[in-house]
Amino acid sequence: MMKINSIIFTIAFIFIQLFTIAQQDEKVRFSGLTRSIISRDLNKTDTINPLNSTSGYNLIDLNTHINPLKDIEILAQLRIRNEFGSFFGSGTQITVRQLTAKGVLGNRIKFTIGDMYLKQNKFTLHNYDEELPFFNSDFVSSYRDIVHYENFYTDNRWRLQGIQTNFSYEFDRFIKTLELDFFITRPRGYQYISNANRVSDMLLSGGSLISKINSNLTFESNYINLFEIPSSGNINISVRNPVIQGGLNYHYDIPQAKLEHNIQAGFSERSWLQFDSLTNYTVGIFSEFSSSYTKKDSSLGFSFGGRYVDPNFRSSGSQTRRINFNDNTPSVYPEYSSNELQRPISVFDIISDPTIYNQDLSTNLMGFNPIYSNSLPFGDATPNRLGVFAKFNLISKNKFLELNFNSSYFEEVIGQGSLLKRNFVLLSGNTKFNLHEIFGLNKKLSVSVSIVDETTKRSSSNAENVNLISRQLNFSSSIETLDDLFIQLGYKSFNSEGNEYLTNRSAYGNIQGFTPINYNQNDNMYIAGLKYKFRPNVYLNLQYNLWGTNFNDSNIPDFKYQRLLFIFSVKL
Amino acid sequence: MKIKHIYILTIISIFIIFSCTKEKSEGPSINELYGDFDATASLLIGNKNPNFQNNELTKFSCDFGRVVDWKISITGLVSSAKKIITGNSSILDSNINFWDGSASDFPLFIEENCAIELTFLTQPDTLRDTILITGPQLYDDGYVVADFENGFPVDGLIKPQGNNTIATFVIADDQPLLGNYYFQMGGKVNFDWALGKIDLKLDYSSSPISASAEDFYLNLGILSDTVDLHTGQFMNILISESDEAFDPDGNGVADIFDSNEEVYKLKIYIDWDGYKLISIRYSDFVATNSTAGVTFAKNPKDIKGMRIACQACPSSGATMQCEENFDRIVRTDFDHIIFTENKAFFDVITGFVADAWNKN
Repeated sequence: MMKINSIIFTIAFIFIQLFTIAQQDEKVRFSGLTRSIISRDLNKTDTINPLNSTSGYNLIDLNTHINPLKDIEILAQLRIRNEFGSFFGSGTQITVRQLTAKGVLGNRIKFTIGDMYLKQNKFTLHNYDEELPFFNSDFVSSYRDIVHYENFYTDNRWRLQGIQTNFSYEFDRFIKTLELDFFITRPRGYQYISNANRVSDMLLSGGSLISKINSNLTFESNYINLFEIPSSGNINISVRNPVIQGGLNYHYDIPQAKLEHNIQAGFSERSWLQFDSLTNYTVGIFSEFSSSYTKKDSSLGFSFGGRYVDPNFRSSGSQTRRINFNDNTPSVYPEYSSNELQRPISVFDIISDPTIYNQDLSTNLMGFNPIYSNSLPFGDATPNRLGVFAKFNLISKNKFLELNFNSSYFEEVIGQGSLLKRNFVLLSGNTKFNLHEIFGLNKKLSVSVSIVDETTKRSSSNAENVNLISRQLNFSSSIETLDDLFIQLGYKSFNSEGNEYLTNRSAYGNIQGFTPINYNQNDNMYIAGLKYKFRPNVYLNLQYNLWGTNFNDSNIPDFKYQRLLFIFSVKL
Repeated sequence: MKIKHIYILTIISIFIIFSCTKEKSEGPSINELYGDFDATASLLIGNKNPNFQNNELTKFSCDFGRVVDWKISITGLVSSAKKIITGNSSILDSNINFWDGSASDFPLFIEENCAIELTFLTQPDTLRDTILITGPQLYDDGYVVADFENGFPVDGLIKPQGNNTIATFVIADDQPLLGNYYFQMGGKVNFDWALGKIDLKLDYSSSPISASAEDFYLNLGILSDTVDLHTGQFMNILISESDEAFDPDGNGVADIFDSNEEVYKLKIYIDWDGYKLISIRYSDFVATNSTAGVTFAKNPKDIKGMRIACQACPSSGATMQCEENFDRIVRTDFDHIIFTENKAFFDVITGFVADAWNKN
């Protein structure tokens, strides 16, 4: 008790001091987030889990921005989290969640030290979105906000710790501008993997160069290198994975529209240094071209392109997935059925469970579930793909209709376990009807429907045959009844049927074997709720979820659960 | 160069890159792993009248269409000797899958007809054929170390550990591998590694042994059981080429295995039920960590003694490492230790643990 009192007293003292300073000369300002969640889960699937359970927490993330000098800012994020139902004080966690110092040297060179969010090109350093496109559906946005915030997912950036600097120049001949950015971070410190053995420090360094050659043409080049320092460990195996990219962007305006053409290419190397010799050395290349047309008022846009990614292209910074299906169990009902089976990750878990998501860069291709993403499981940087893609979006003049359509056709560059190649067709469409616009209603009324259809095929008359079809259907409706109070109705259906082969890879990422698997799975999620928006980032949300999975297999039990969820979120 | 030219060049480059990609695949063939089993496959046997005394081989070939667990059983129709060859592959490769006339167990093959059966773990099919052994494998160049048929070797030493209160370390007749007798070696010492050892005096200096260590085999049968198995039990086999006197001080422990002698060692973990017949290349024995000045020049003809020690990881006391084995009885019995030149009696086993010096 004395310890708790001491902590509370210390925090209160710091806050009082900071407020005092802030009031004195405005060198300290605050921002942050507070969230309260209560969830009540209801289980009628089995008897090994409780019939119902309640959990929840309160948390405050307080960001303190300290500006000791005009060009220096220090950010400290302090988290106080209290689990509901824990004994007073003992369930309270106080952690420093983020520490960053940044500033500008001589009005020219910016620098950041500590926690930072980094992104480069799609093939060098990019944190691709998770599975299930149209995750942006409004009815799951409360869950999405939590998943992304808790895993530091911001604008497809990876959260890393290290030092970064950038600066730019302007020229009056040959080229117009030159922007340079360099960083070095430590994604992982050395770690003991047994009593005596430890793996080495892992570092990620890189740089970007962007130059406007003239008002229409821009050159870009990015380089990253993920590597381990052998001398910091004692297992004498260390990875090296440099990737370099270069590209040109040509853009110009025509009346009412912007046109853009992009070309880019690059290559990667990956190897392991084992004592004094390199093992499993691979080199892979990629190239991509694309063009886009966008009306200046954003009411119409379309783009198309083609991409080649070599089977051996490996980029840890862009191929690390947010969810590793090989090494994860859901936090809600991780086991189910009377046989205490491990419950597989379902649509509901992908939408709602922050704990299945990954924050660490991986030097090998991570596991994925082909029913959720088989075409591009590692985003645009997915190796062993050659194909074309096209996108189209439209917003009607009266904003009644919002339409998005994406499509792609990809084929493997070389077959896996076969000389035959798989091909992948991905079609997705999303339509939002803003009914209040056409009916002239004062309060908002919208209906959204989206469909995602993914087909994988490898036609063969023998065991090599693959035919997998996954189809996702989303329906959501948002009805404003009183001012800022919305009724939410949603339905998400995911069906997958067919067969595939899961790849088994060695520690060095080489395919060692395949596991055949048949799917006939239906995931469903129903949502009904109320959301009161004080402001876009301040809301109360009460939701009822009914979710489950049917495997249509007598050997695999189905599951169905319910949840009542309350969220109060304030983001400042 | 205009942007459209660069653009066109890029597209062309992509297609060139694609067209240059070699037509190959990643990973093992799915057809071989999961394709249909070819039930019409026929077993081809090369040399149906082998004379194993002339180093002839009987080779097998077959194409199953997919990877399967297969088993070739060769049974002597007169001697009832058996040889089992197993594998997991999509084909029988005659360069890999052959028979040299050895047996998987006793008795050995004689000049006789043999039935050959090829069976599969997951398929009901059985392919059958016969061969005639015109010259059985001979082990005339075998050098028996101990078979216990006439008691314990006269110059040998038996030394159970003092605290091994239920030590066996005796010749018994209830489960011999060959003949009527075998040697029991076991007991229980919870707090220590060593349970005891035997030292056997050997001298092949006047023998006609000419094989190198690579072609010189130690063959023996090791008997244990899995009833309340001590999971940390093992046998240390030490072979000495020391020229020192065997036991000059008469203390019941041979001095030729001391740390300053030329000694080679192998460690065999024992976790099976019944006899396991083992052939080990002498070259797989490793030189022990020794004091300076010892020259290790492994030569079968220089062998002067063998030590067989029974050990198990301690389950109590200061050096406890496997508490779960407390009070479990250790059993590392054996029979019919014999050296052979150029041919192993049984399937040659490799991968035994060669660890740090331990003269026990």
